[in-house]
Amino acid sequence: MLELRGITLTYDAADHPDGSRPTTVLDGIDLTVSDGELVVLAGPTGVGKSTLLGVVAGLVPSYTGGTLTGDVLLDGVSIIERPARERAHAIGYVGQNPAAWFVTDTVEEELAFGMEQLGLPATTMRRRVEETLDLLGIAELRYRDLRTLSGGQQQRVAIGAVLTVHPRLLVLDEPTSALDPTAAEDVLATLTRLVHDLGVSVLVAEHRLERVVPFADRLCLLGGDPARPGTVRVGDPAEVLRDAPIAPPIVELGRLAGWEPLPLTVRDARRQAPELTARLGGPPHRERPASAEPIVEVRRLVLAHGRTPVLREVDLALSPGTVTALMGRNGAGKSTLLWALQGRHEAGSGTVRVVGADPSSLRPEERRSTTGLVPQSPADLLYLETVAAECAAADLSAGADPGACRGLLERLAPGIDPDHHPRDLSEGQRLALAVAIVLTARPPVLLLDEPTRGLDYPAKRALAGLLRELAREPGARRAVLVATHDVEFVAQVADDLVVLAEGEVVSAGPVARGVSESPAFAPQVTKVLGAGWLGVDDVAERLAAGSAGVTP
Amino acid sequence: MRLARDLHPVAWWTWAVGLAVAASCTTNPLLLLVLLGVITLVVLTCRSDQPWARSFRLYVWLGVVVIAVRILFRILLGGDVPGQVLFTLPAIPLPDWAAGISLLGPFTREELLAAAYEGLRLATLLIAVGAANALANPKRLMKSLPPALYEIGTAMTVAISVVPQLADSARRVRAAQQLRGGPQGRFRRLRGVRRLLVPILEDSFDRSLALAAGMDARGYGRTGELTAAQRRGTGALIIAGLLGVCVGVYAFLDSTAPRILALPMLAVGTLVALGGFALAGRRVQRTRYRPDRWRLPEIVVAASGIAAGAGMWGVWRWDPQVAHPGVLVVPEVTLPALAAALVAVLPVWAAPLPVTAQRREEALA
Amino acid sequence: MSGHTGRGGHTDRRRPVAVPLRLRSGAVLAITSVIGLLMLAWPLLLDVSPDAERVDPPFLFLLLLPVILGVVLAEMSEGGMDARVLAVLGVLSAVNAVLRLASAGTAGLELVFFLLILGGRVFGAGFGFVLGCTSLFASALMTAGVGPWLPFQMLVAAWVGMGAGLLPRRVRGRGEIALLAAYGVVSAYLYGLLMNLQGWPFMAGVQVPGQDSTEISYVPGAALLDNLHHFVVYTLLTSTGGWDTGRAITNALAIVLLGPAVLVTLRRAARRARIDPTLAPR
Repeated sequence: MLELRGITLTYDAADHPDGSRPTTVLDGIDLTVSDGELVVLAGPTGVGKSTLLGVVAGLVPSYTGGTLTGDVLLDGVSIIERPARERAHAIGYVGQNPAAWFVTDTVEEELAFGMEQLGLPATTMRRRVEETLDLLGIAELRYRDLRTLSGGQQQRVAIGAVLTVHPRLLVLDEPTSALDPTAAEDVLATLTRLVHDLGVSVLVAEHRLERVVPFADRLCLLGGDPARPGTVRVGDPAEVLRDAPIAPPIVELGRLAGWEPLPLTVRDARRQAPELTARLGGPPHRERPASAEPIVEVRRLVLAHGRTPVLREVDLALSPGTVTALMGRNGAGKSTLLWALQGRHEAGSGTVRVVGADPSSLRPEERRSTTGLVPQSPADLLYLETVAAECAAADLSAGADPGACRGLLERLAPGIDPDHHPRDLSEGQRLALAVAIVLTARPPVLLLDEPTRGLDYPAKRALAGLLRELAREPGARRAVLVATHDVEFVAQVADDLVVLAEGEVVSAGPVARGVSESPAFAPQVTKVLGAGWLGVDDVAERLAAGSAGVTP
Repeated sequence: MRLARDLHPVAWWTWAVGLAVAASCTTNPLLLLVLLGVITLVVLTCRSDQPWARSFRLYVWLGVVVIAVRILFRILLGGDVPGQVLFTLPAIPLPDWAAGISLLGPFTREELLAAAYEGLRLATLLIAVGAANALANPKRLMKSLPPALYEIGTAMTVAISVVPQLADSARRVRAAQQLRGGPQGRFRRLRGVRRLLVPILEDSFDRSLALAAGMDARGYGRTGELTAAQRRGTGALIIAGLLGVCVGVYAFLDSTAPRILALPMLAVGTLVALGGFALAGRRVQRTRYRPDRWRLPEIVVAASGIAAGAGMWGVWRWDPQVAHPGVLVVPEVTLPALAAALVAVLPVWAAPLPVTAQRREEALA
Repeated sequence: MSGHTGRGGHTDRRRPVAVPLRLRSGAVLAITSVIGLLMLAWPLLLDVSPDAERVDPPFLFLLLLPVILGVVLAEMSEGGMDARVLAVLGVLSAVNAVLRLASAGTAGLELVFFLLILGGRVFGAGFGFVLGCTSLFASALMTAGVGPWLPFQMLVAAWVGMGAGLLPRRVRGRGEIALLAAYGVVSAYLYGLLMNLQGWPFMAGVQVPGQDSTEISYVPGAALLDNLHHFVVYTLLTSTGGWDTGRAITNALAIVLLGPAVLVTLRRAARRARIDPTLAPR
């Protein structure tokens, strides 16, 4: 149905968005999507997944610049010359952040917008809106203001808004990247239902491969070959993942254990697991830093926004040298807890002690030197025109030596051009800049709110390493608290896990115990090998040790 | 049976403009008070519980302020209308350059009445417009714009829906900025605004481009191209019409110009320009989901407003003593004048019940 | 791609022209400006026959101007407006409306023109005109403040935005900020003056026997200079000392202090909003 032939996109020096060197982003890409097929597009961050989807939808190069060659065929007819609006009836495109895409303000009007543009008769629109509301299970939301919806609901409305024009191909860019695990499941379940019931073809870019690969008919890997980054490999998911640089933990485990065929689901892997469990022996013991006096202590903290309670009797203790993960659904109170530790929210009742003081009673500059908080969108911190100016301002306001912030940034993300505009940095670099600015005041407590959004497996691993290093830095007495949805990241980074639900702590303790207590938060390796095994790294370590002849 | 629904916003605006015209035709305080009563009654019975419905009170206050300002001006600047002196303030003559004005001085009852009548007329006009603001749903009004203004209407819709996002982003950025040190030195407050404004602007541009991409990908702007001849025709009509209006306005102001160039020219020019306007809208091939239709209640509401305007104009034209009684006699009211003012109360019975949260919930239940 | 997206950007891709001003739309803007000026300055121009019993302000203009503005805006968006331009227009209007609301409460602070001027400067005269209209209209819609004064405000604000787009292009750096700040001061006073001119007969009355009037009222049929004199006194007494000066100072200050950063932001947005697509020949 849809066919890409030799798609090549180059930015020449003048219109490159963040630099001045000519680059080839996509390099001779051939891809076909047949009727009723679900194709997953995977690849490392920043490799051009969104760009490729944009080419299909017609938004690239008209929104990004660059030179496009090759051809896009829809049912054998070339559509590469047609702008996005002339493709809308056949190709439905849903971008990364659905909230930024809404044109109207209620669910019903949003569903009708695309049809209005196509000039469909009013009666047809009426019928299709009803059908779509039912199909996506959002009928009760019809009059709701779009901004009051949860992330998962918004994503479903965004999908519905393109479905109403009955496109033949649905193109989705990371539909679950901002969702908590349950909402992500909902959206992906909706997608598979569309493929199975309606026969819509779907092309979806997704970085949480572990969720979507089981449903994929084919996998298209972009940037898998470091020598030619703009090319793709297309094939059966298990085949392509055999040596892909980005792979879900379960696939890495399969590779490590030499399983054949490569398992894509927990179910497949469990069938092959007993052999490996026997080889591995008992679960590993994670070494923990010597327990010390906690530097953050929260006792029976109650906090409310207006009359709605957000935190109910929360207890929390953070010891220096540890990384603690904070998990829970969207709206469970994670961000509020972080901001309470920072001192912006005053405790309704109960006590908050950070390095021996109540943070809400401190002056702003004292707060900054006790806790460093990196907010959910780190770009909010940045307001100057160059990276160098941001760093200089950070030094000045923290009273640090000139160059302190630059030094930190160089450690976190080497090689950033100081004359760049902060907004032109990549997601990971911007996060690094925000962390560096916050760390310039050398706070003993570091809080991060959802730092893994938009990062791929290697980038997350690097961030995990960095956070552990910061926590363990000799002579620093520092504690790190990370709020996140990402189970696999938690397995990599955290010593302790605290789970919040409806503002209450439902579980707290070492990570290995925490994840075995609640299966929803268990990483894949734990699901396959049982409690105590957290990540592929543990298994690799044990196997290496085993082959060296040191059996426990 | 009357079901709760939103009346077509254009019907409300027609009604209100009719009343505003009626108000501008008279300075008779009794007639103006009747008009005010009619407006208030209709607003109180027909408004919904949406946020814009609460704006009516502001307009009432604005009206009160206008009357007060007119009277204060008169006291401050004085006048020379002879009559019964109410009180005398010491006069302050201003130097020659100020047109020989003297401030304060004696204040007469006639001056008070004249100021109050004129103020009341302006206040009634404002309150009529305020009624439209309170009654008509602004979002639906944007949707009822003629096709040629579709783009502008969409930009307005975007603007209205961006505002809550701006508030969100402002809150978020403010909180985030507390995590960094503040600026020092002079103009600290304005520099603080910069720390806030730049991230918010950047944020909203990012959003707006994403939004544009989203609209584009959903078919926004699939316009049928006009042929070159059609485009030339549109342009010619618009330019000719505007030129006509230009001449008409000038002739309207200059009484030495031939009268045929005044009102007739204005009318012709406006019609020609509107023709071009309609032609420009022809390229648009969109449809509306749940379009607002003109049904009987809409027609009755709009007609009652037009009738009030036309009736009061008739009173002004043929019975100037009633329309403008002056300050020396007690104002009179005739039956036709009263009827012209009262006809606008029809919406109280003709308009559908307003949509309120309670009724909506009952409907869903 | 079709001529649609490439429109206006062929000659110089670094200079965004968001709403292109062609000869035709330029002519429409010019005629509208003349009509607008006539309607604003009617008290100075109106000449009445001496035997007229009473003179009413021409309420007809209050009805006519919205129609004219509608026609002009339709002409400006004739041929379809690019989605990106439209989105930027929507966002800037919203920010302007919020700035207006937020600053109106603070005494003497009125930041209406600051972003309008910068927007007109970066995106061009045609865009500036449309932005002036939509900003004031959006703020009126949000506060339910649609009234007879609105079309006049929209028109004058549109002139301010358009003028900012017509300032000399070459000036950059500090010179540019100084130029814009000076323009901000001038436009703040002009805006106040023109709005006063329109509201003067309504607020101070018309001086004819039997009607409410004061000594600084509009005198129909009097010589232009006399009326001008009355008007100048009225405007000095009522607004120049307070509102207009406050507005001029805050606008200039805002442009000097925030201008450089906001210009960078706007230019970045402009760069992203108008990049010519290239399809290599096949």
